[in-house]
Amino acid sequence: MSEAQVTKSPTVVVRDPGHTAMQLHDVAVSFNGRVAVRDATFDVAKNRVTSLIGPSGSGKTTLLRALNRLHDLTPGAKVSGRIVLEGTDIYRGDMTVTELRTRVGMVFQRPNPFPTMSIYDNVVSGLRFNGIKKKSLLDEAAETSLRSAALWDSVESRLKVAASNLSGGEQQRLCIARALAMDPEVLLMDEPTSALDPIATLKIEELMTTLKERVTIVIVTHNMQQAARISDDCAFLLMGEDRAGELIEFDTTEKIFNNPNDSRTLDYTLGRFG
Amino acid sequence: MAEFSSATTSRSWYHYLLLTACVLFGAVSVGFVGSIIQKSLPTWLHHSTTLIGGGGWQSPSGPFGGLAMIVGTLETSLIALVIAVVIGLGTAISIVFFIPRRLRNIVATFVELLAAVPSIVYGLWGFLVLAPFMYSTIDPWLNSWPFAREIWGDPSQQYGPSLFLAAIVLGVMILPTFVAISREVISVVPDDLIEASLSLGATRWQVIRKVVLPTARIGLFGATFLALARATGETVAVALIAGGVAKVQWHMLNPGTSIASWIATEFGEAQGNEVSALMALGVLLMLLSFSLSLVSRWLVSRQRKLLARV
Ligand SMILES: Nc1ncnc2c1ncn2[C@@H]1O[C@H](COP(=O)(O)OP(=O)(O)O)[C@@H](O)[C@H]1O
Ligand SMILES: [Mg+2]
Repeated sequence: MSEAQVTKSPTVVVRDPGHTAMQLHDVAVSFNGRVAVRDATFDVAKNRVTSLIGPSGSGKTTLLRALNRLHDLTPGAKVSGRIVLEGTDIYRGDMTVTELRTRVGMVFQRPNPFPTMSIYDNVVSGLRFNGIKKKSLLDEAAETSLRSAALWDSVESRLKVAASNLSGGEQQRLCIARALAMDPEVLLMDEPTSALDPIATLKIEELMTTLKERVTIVIVTHNMQQAARISDDCAFLLMGEDRAGELIEFDTTEKIFNNPNDSRTLDYTLGRFG
Repeated sequence: MAEFSSATTSRSWYHYLLLTACVLFGAVSVGFVGSIIQKSLPTWLHHSTTLIGGGGWQSPSGPFGGLAMIVGTLETSLIALVIAVVIGLGTAISIVFFIPRRLRNIVATFVELLAAVPSIVYGLWGFLVLAPFMYSTIDPWLNSWPFAREIWGDPSQQYGPSLFLAAIVLGVMILPTFVAISREVISVVPDDLIEASLSLGATRWQVIRKVVLPTARIGLFGATFLALARATGETVAVALIAGGVAKVQWHMLNPGTSIASWIATEFGEAQGNEVSALMALGVLLMLLSFSLSLVSRWLVSRQRKLLARV
């Protein structure tokens, strides 16, 4: 690594390691040799919401997917740097991909319940993948996670209907419940409200602020107000001259939106570009 | 709007041309189906029980029993279908999930090319290559099974061509069709469903079994029915290798026949009542393929609805 790159690496808020859920050290992702995102160094603090913001194409999704190794499936994708979950390097350490993914869950841009499964089967699908068959355990997990996703009251009486009968917002909360059923330490969310109407969006935002008591959240959003409203920490990414996304600044959301170190961050949050 | 209505009041020449084409098409279809039904009417009115229930076919005087052909069609098609679905599903899954990306398109294209090979080529291969090999190598082995006589039949009646041979050739023939359609159906299962299941800690095998196949299920049934439709209607290949014997046959290594291949081999010398009986067989075949393709269309549209989310 050259000196030049080190000096322009962003400010990093260093915390007590006990309060850190995930650590990113100089993470970069490339596809067939083309860098999509680089220079990502920051800590994801426990029981807080960390948002990834930046213009479209700046590598937010790509960076998020590196956190639960979803790039493993893509031929030609390469992740470099270090990503540490509770002391273990998720790419080189003593942890299987399956274990990682049960500890780091994911909610996608479009609500994607399994279309052939009922509401109940969707919620417990992860537990079943992991070999849990006992009905009492599954029932309990289903209720707990549907309650956590603020969905229990509206679906309690129709757990056996197909998930496709739910509205878009309910489907997305079902997907959140499905992820929560695994009792993950970290929940990754990629623009989880971009396909939803304002009311459904608001419900999910409210949900996130209560959820962070039990799970650390990393959320990608291109909605500035959303990042400001719900996140505690914020990472700002921007495309460099070679069109590769890079981390410009990481700090508390408060600082990023009110008093950022980098003028580009200010330009972006004020809506001057992007 | 105004322009549109003025265009409809002064109808131009191409409007009439299209209308004529449409009327012609209607006339041809009605004439086609109508004349077949009309020619088959005598059989339906006077000999329908023989046609559906009778086993023998005595040219030129009759009786003309169609049961042997109906049973032969069902036996060969269903065995062919089992062969095609078992091998084809495995192949389609491998093409989508296990073959390296570069090879994938080559293999998929190759499968599609195979599906387009005219059936006479499959028939020729069955007759010249597979039949001698079966007769010299496979049949003796099958006949050495316990209960071979009950399953495969009396070896003294066997001489190569058989319902089983026809079923295998049909299976090989509809295999590419089935693989091509089910590959398509499997590959349109949305990536985010696969990623969601992986993110819940599913293994690759679980993703396939619990998410991909169930999601693609209805479309896979559609592929099955299309393959079945192709097998039931197949004529030349079966005519070459089934044996051409009009006898209800439960022993699969014995010669038999099917509706389509029987029509093809008999119509040249048919007269009077036999023509009508062959036409009636044609109507049966038509009904069979109509219903199979209706079912597969219905399944395909249900699959579309399933995947059209939010
Ligand atoms: N699977 C992939 N293969 C090749 N390039 C990809 C892939 N996924 C993302 N990229 C590239 O990575 C860059 C960042 O994309 P993405 O992470 O989706 O941005 P964002 O989420 O910030 O809009 C884009 O230039 C995109 O073309
Ligand atoms: Mg994105």
